[in-house]
Amino acid sequence: MDVFPHLANGFVAALTPTNLFMAFVGSLLGTLVGVLPGLGPTAAIAILFPLTSVLTPAAAIIMLAGIYYGAMYGGSTTAILLNIPGEVASVPTCLDGYPMAQQGRGGVALGVAAIGSFIAGTFGVVILTFFAPVLADQALRFGPPEYFGLMVLAFTVVVSLSGASLARGLAMAMVGYLLALIGLGSATAEPRFVFGFEPLMSGVDLIPLVVGLFAVAEVFLGLEEARVAIAQKIHDVFPRWRDLRQAMPAILRGTGIGFLLGLLPGCAPGVTVFLAYDVEKKLARHPERFGKGAIEGVAAPESANNATSSAGFIPLLALGIPASAPLAILLGGLMVYGLQPGPLLFQKNPEFVWTIIASLYVGNVILLILNLPLVGMWVWLTRVPFGILGPAILLLSFVGAYSVRNSMFDVAVSLVCGFLGYWLRKYQWPLAPLLLAFILGPLLENNLIQSLSMSGGSPLIFVRRGLSLTLILGAIVLLCTSLVLVRYTSRRIRETTADELAL
Amino acid sequence: MNATPRRSIDGRIVGAILVLLGGLGLREGRRLYVLRETLVAGAVVGDDTFPMIVGVALLVLGGYLVLTSPPPSARVELPRGAVRRQMLWSAATLVAYGFIVPWLGYTAGTAIASTALYRAMGDYRWPTAALLGAVTTAVLYLFFRVWLLQPLPSGLFGA
Repeated sequence: MDVFPHLANGFVAALTPTNLFMAFVGSLLGTLVGVLPGLGPTAAIAILFPLTSVLTPAAAIIMLAGIYYGAMYGGSTTAILLNIPGEVASVPTCLDGYPMAQQGRGGVALGVAAIGSFIAGTFGVVILTFFAPVLADQALRFGPPEYFGLMVLAFTVVVSLSGASLARGLAMAMVGYLLALIGLGSATAEPRFVFGFEPLMSGVDLIPLVVGLFAVAEVFLGLEEARVAIAQKIHDVFPRWRDLRQAMPAILRGTGIGFLLGLLPGCAPGVTVFLAYDVEKKLARHPERFGKGAIEGVAAPESANNATSSAGFIPLLALGIPASAPLAILLGGLMVYGLQPGPLLFQKNPEFVWTIIASLYVGNVILLILNLPLVGMWVWLTRVPFGILGPAILLLSFVGAYSVRNSMFDVAVSLVCGFLGYWLRKYQWPLAPLLLAFILGPLLENNLIQSLSMSGGSPLIFVRRGLSLTLILGAIVLLCTSLVLVRYTSRRIRETTADELAL
Repeated sequence: MNATPRRSIDGRIVGAILVLLGGLGLREGRRLYVLRETLVAGAVVGDDTFPMIVGVALLVLGGYLVLTSPPPSARVELPRGAVRRQMLWSAATLVAYGFIVPWLGYTAGTAIASTALYRAMGDYRWPTAALLGAVTTAVLYLFFRVWLLQPLPSGLFGA
């Protein structure tokens, strides 16, 4: 596949006024929600997902990708200034970012985080540009058994999304699969799990589910937490040469670690940020500075976070495997628009894919521009009382859930999912596996049914075909790798926060 | 402060629900199997296959959770006092919102619900809450109805 002509066409499409505007709005809104205390990329995408439902597929995904990147940038602001990680990937940033803010160096920390994120994000997109098409070139070798193998590979992501308890993650994943079964069966169009209740005939829609589990639940969790922003003026947001020289090796190492591990389907940013932080601490001449405001302690995890997130687009676009909860929502977004991420996406919808890839370059530049000069505004936003934010987010979520299908049933679904999500999150039941299984469930089922139909019901078809067998073996290897990495990360989270956060 | 015991109650609750859901999955799978046998002669798999698999998995996992009920890795503290009151009021307001919007329509329903939410979550005085509620209602209307051209519930008053 000729990369450069495709990429050039992608840039032509991404730089059209509409798409450029969507990248800008997505980045702006994502940063806006990301800087709100306690809200991370998953909540940001969940809250804003319904707004994209009226757009064309390319514009919607560009906006969603902008929201994702923006929320990650925004997340570092709350981690540094408020010591509140929106998601687990921001926990290591708190360790040194918050002490830097207490020392009056919050601006430098924010600047280094933004520059590190830009370098890592752009590096990730460059590799995505050249690597994803190579993977996707295997498209013609994929039949139903191979797709089933891919889905099994995707299932390994559940391990890394499960947090400390695999049993809890698997339980949530099975509930996700069950929810995905509601509606008309794909083979006979016979209603399943409907029980005569008509609104269930069309199944549970992804958007109300996401809004309830990740936006409504988040607001209720936020009500419980007292949050105090550092009342300081942020200045010197452009790091000095000395700061940059000190941070640059950490940025590059964080980028490398984040990107390489991010290529593994199932390796979420929550895993790589701790590794990057620990590597930096081990390599430091004065490791005792870490935890007290070391600039490398901000640069490395922030770079790793963005590199992993960018790398996550490779398995997402080329294989249809999301590595994290926000990417799972993005996958759902693609499927809402009738696009099937995976090897065939590059062949069937090349204009779409290359527009998205080009827009990721554009989005990174927009975010750098938004974040450095406007940091004062973002800091001001962190001081908006939760009593104003909470009701606004709840109403935005509900009206958004309604607007997708003009259905009060969807509002009810988001409400029920919100209450359930709060209770489950409170007791540390991971929600990301539920979401992943809900999104991948129909694909897994279709490919399983088609494969077994091809083989007359024999499951040996999955091991008789080379690529399918390779994928299943790959899934086993990844499962083991993920278990080791998750155990390591869970231990580090406990050491750091005495708390349990979903990866 | 409610400390979580080593064998957690939430594990048993979720486990029991999973067992029920698993049973439901198997029952639905059985119904679909009979239907497939009747409708599609000779098909070895169909719409019943996955519900059966998921049903069995739910039964196994649910049983495991009921028997072992692994506790959360960190202590769970449930909200108390003013925070709990805030949360209950907010939740009740949201449930009420779901019921009143189809009758009152978007404008009146959202204005009332948002006022109640600002009062419950932010502890603002009624006039301030009403003002914030009106602004929120107007902004969301502009966003969804005017900009995104999305229909909103019209209710009995048609707005």
